[in-house]
Parts: sequence; structure tokens; C-alpha cells
Amino acid sequence: MSLLRVEDLHRHLGEGDTRCHALRGVSFTIEPGRTYAIAGHSGSGKSTLLYLIGLLDIPDAGSIWVGDRETSRLTDDERTAVRNEHMGFVFQFHFLLKEFTALENVMLPMRKLGRLSEEAMRAKAADLLGAVGLGDKTRRLGTQLSGGEQQRVAIARALANDPGLILADEPTGNLDHANADRVFALLSDIAHQRGQALLMVSHNPELAHRCDHVFRMQDGVILP
Amino acid sequence: MSPALLIALRFLGARKRAMLMSLTGIVFGVAFFVITQAQTAGFEAYFIKTILGVNGMVRIEDRIQSTRAMTATEGSSFAIAVEGSVKYIPGVQHAKAVTDALKGFPEVTAASPVIRGNATLIANFREYDTKPYGIDLGTFLNVSDLETQIIDGSMKAFGESPYALIVGSRIAKRMNLQVGDSVLLDGAGEPQRFRVAAVFETGIDQVDRERVYLHLPAIRTLLNKPTGASFIQLNLLDPELAPALAPRIQEALGHSTMAWQEREKTWLQVFSVLRISSALTISTIIFISGLGMFNTLVMIVVDKTREIAILRSMGYTRADISRIFMLQGGIVVALGVTLGCAAAALGTYTLSHIPIRIRGIFASDHFVVLWDPWHYVAAAVIATVVVLIASYFPSRRAARLEPGAVIRGSSS
Repeated sequence: MSLLRVEDLHRHLGEGDTRCHALRGVSFTIEPGRTYAIAGHSGSGKSTLLYLIGLLDIPDAGSIWVGDRETSRLTDDERTAVRNEHMGFVFQFHFLLKEFTALENVMLPMRKLGRLSEEAMRAKAADLLGAVGLGDKTRRLGTQLSGGEQQRVAIARALANDPGLILADEPTGNLDHANADRVFALLSDIAHQRGQALLMVSHNPELAHRCDHVFRMQDGVILP
Repeated sequence: MSPALLIALRFLGARKRAMLMSLTGIVFGVAFFVITQAQTAGFEAYFIKTILGVNGMVRIEDRIQSTRAMTATEGSSFAIAVEGSVKYIPGVQHAKAVTDALKGFPEVTAASPVIRGNATLIANFREYDTKPYGIDLGTFLNVSDLETQIIDGSMKAFGESPYALIVGSRIAKRMNLQVGDSVLLDGAGEPQRFRVAAVFETGIDQVDRERVYLHLPAIRTLLNKPTGASFIQLNLLDPELAPALAPRIQEALGHSTMAWQEREKTWLQVFSVLRISSALTISTIIFISGLGMFNTLVMIVVDKTREIAILRSMGYTRADISRIFMLQGGIVVALGVTLGCAAAALGTYTLSHIPIRIRGIFASDHFVVLWDPWHYVAAAVIATVVVLIASYFPSRRAARLEPGAVIRGSSS
């Protein structure tokens, strides 16, 4: 069974005269342990697709299957629960909670899931930060880390509940070349090593080509 | 600790100064609310204690005679009841029979007949109009606090002499009377000599400047009233029983009977209005603090829009987000109520030790306060309701944020 299946997805954006058909029947599948890029020009529907897959938006038509569960008609709370358990997000900006340390930021999704004890959560968060090269900065606040380090904390946070799917929206868009390269390599390695799928929206063709598969989008459809 | 509580605690620091101002307002609001209530309720309770100690819980006075008449057509069985007015015959003519009948009311713990009249007190070449009260000392002490109102002389001296007199403090001052002085009382045209055995002070100006106590046999002679009583003063198991009991006694015994609540209605209403007025005034401090809390939370919601969106993306539900902001209000109000109640207790204690001479409706040489846990409960409830309402709207706004729209807006 595929990790994610998208079938004939449609989405309109805007109201009245500005209303446009942003996604026009998109279908594809995502397999575990592989990396995918969604590439295309601005306005091609990349981010719209990513947010629909991430259950942060609702399609006008079509279906999104996470495992064997169709999610497009779930309630808000049900979609939120699916996000918590099966998805991890990395955005262009790290969005760390500045009142929390790196360790505490990584623990936030685990606290919500509520499956681990406090000690187990701490240990796991420390391991994840170690895996992204921040084992010695677990007690630092987000504001005490560099841009690249903050994004790596965000990656560790996305991995907190061992999600099957990591969704990344321009994860390197706000980083310099060296840091961008490092962050992508980290995401790619983790996805391959842990059997997780990475679906990344990127303007960067070089990074997109380093993925196992590239979906090219234009005018709301995936090009063959 | 729940994740919502943890996040709420951390977010509280986001607007420290504004949050501290709201907290301070709640502390002061709760403290002032309790202190003013303790003070007004304290004065009211002390007034009630004083008035019960002077005039008793219930008084049985004039006999009621119904003037209802039946008119009928002569030679016919047809009759019409005509509602007439009632007629009051002054005093209690058969005081002993009424007192015996009161034994059928278990709420009544003591009853004492009193004869009241008017007499001129003559001493030191001066005359003074007084209202002598003839009492049966043995029973009257069970329906009044006369014994504790003595400020000079002794009750023992009064009890030992049939022609002893207890005078009000204002009379003693006005007539320059000392314990042991001899005075004349002229009630029915034949002045009689009495000796001042004691001076009493109730703090009620009108009582202290016109009332003198004599023995019942002495006043009968003075006022030429060989039988009956002006009224019978009662003591009950509980002062709060009086309003229900008085009509029953009136119905059963046929005498006008008045509870202290009815008798002192005017003053009780004054105290009630004062208490409500001060509660409303002080509550505005809490309301303003609630408004401050509302503003602070709205600012935090605006500041934390992206954080709320990321929390939603990682699995926090709308209810979780709402809870985070409601908890912030809850934490502030819990802290504010705790500190406010502590400050209130300290303030009430300090106030009760501030010296102030009060005479007029009661006698006190310091502020009178009432320690009532319900004042604290009321303040806590008002503060909690105000702050939770103030927190509800920002929390709802936070919960309604669409994470996708916020994150895309931030990224673009």
C-alpha cells in the first residue's frame, strides 16, 4: 500500500473576479523511503497542493488517502489528529516558539500525541537534535541559534512523532547555499534511513533534481 | 503538566508589563471588594447586635380588636360580611397570660414585660424629659444586653434597691449625674425619689439621651399603672426566625407583634444600599482589569499568530489553542484572587485596629469589620467571571485562525 495517494484533486482559490482554478485534477502516489520534489513556476499550484496534502486546506473535489484512510472529508479535529501522528512539517521559516528551548520545541508534537513519558520525550528529542547536529545546543532558545540551526531544530520537530510523511515548503528558501545544501542533505538522508517519505516544494532546480522523483507542475496540473 | 498549560505559562511572559497591570488590578479589586464588604457588613452586624441588645428581637405590643361586622336583613338568613378596620387597644393588659401563652412557641427563649412612659427627671435644680422603662430585672436581662451596656455603677446595686435607677449616658452627662446621686422622677404629678445605681451606654443616641430603667413595681407607682405592660420583649433561638414568627404570634395572641427586621427596616435598607453600592463601585476595578486582560490577550493572539498556526500544523486542535488562552486568563485570575484575598485579610485586620470613635447608632472606638468567607467567595467569583469572559473572545479568535492561510501568508 502506498503511503499517500492523491486522486483527481481540484481546488479553487480567491473569490469573484479573482477566483482561479489552482489545481485541476492532480493525481499521484507517494511511497515510503523516497524523496519527492514538486517543482514549477510561481502560481503553478505547488504550495496549494502541499497544503492540501498536509490537511491544512480542504479540496473542492478529489480525495487524499493517507494509508488506507480517505482524509478530505474528515472533521477539523480528525484532520488535526492525522497531521499530529502521520505528518511532519518544515516550512521556509522555522516558526520555533521563542519561549521554548530547542529541546522543548522538538517535544511539542510529542506532548500533544501523549504516548511517551516526560523522560522518554526528552531522550527522544535529544536524540533527534543530535541527529541534526545540535546535540550540544538542546537548551538554547530559538533566538540563540543561527538561521541554519533554527531550521535544523524545525526538522527535528517535524520528525518528533516519527511521521510517515515529511512535508517541506521551500525548507531551504531562507538559507544561504551552504546551509541549504546541509539542510536538504539532512532531510534526504533521514527520509531514506528511516523509511519516511519526503515531499518538498522547491524553487531550487538543483535541489529538486537530487530527489528520487520530481513532479513538475504547470497551471494546476502535473506535467507528464 | 498538560501541553496547553505549559504553553499558556510560557505565553504569559510575552506581554509581561501589560499582564502585570491586569494582575495588579485584579489583586486590588478583590482586596478592596472584600475590605469594603467586611467594613459595611461589620457595621451592619454591629448595628443589629446593638439594636437587638437594646430593643429585643420581637416585641408584642397593642391588642388588636377586629371591628368586622355582619349585617343581615331582619327576619332573613342572608348575611353580608363587612370588612372593617382593626382597632388597637394600647399595651398588653394581661401580660402574665400572654407570657404563659408564649410557652407554646418553642422558638421563644425568653420574654419580659416592660412598662414604658414619660417622666420628668429633676436633679441639680434642672429638669429633663425622659422615657422611663419599668423592667423585671430577672427576665429583662434575658431579652437585652443591658448588663453589658453598663459603663458606670453596677447591675447588682440596681437589683438590690427597689428605688434604684439606671440612666442613659447622655442624660447623666446633661444632668451631671453620678452613681449614687439622688434624683426625682415626676410621672403622674407625684414626684418620687430614686437613686442612680448605674449609667448605661448603647451608642444609640436617642436611647442614651432619653431612656431610664426602673423596677417594674416602681414604675407602676410612678405612672399609676397598677396592671398590664406596655409591651413584652422577646428573645428567640435565632434572630432570623423573627419575621416568620411575629405574624404567627400576632395571629395566635391577638396582639400587634413586630420583628426587629420590620422595626429597623429603614436602617437595614441604608446598610443594604451602602453594601451594594460599594460592591458595585469596587467591582469596576475588577471590570477595568478584565478589560486590560482582554486587550493583553488580543495583543498576544496577534503576536503569536504564526506560533498558533505552527501548533495547529503539528497537531494541536482548535480546542487546544482556545484552552491555551483561557488558561492564561485562568492563571492570572487564580494568582490575582489568591494575592487579593491575602491582601484583603491583611487589610481587614489592619482596618479593624484603626481607632475611630463612633456614636449615634451604636458605640465603637474602632472600625468594625465582619470576617465572612462569602465576601471572599463573591470577590473570587466576580473576578473569575470577568476575566474568563475577557479571555473567551481572544481565545475564540485564536482558535479560529486557519493555519494554512497564516503560514502561506508568512512565507509569501
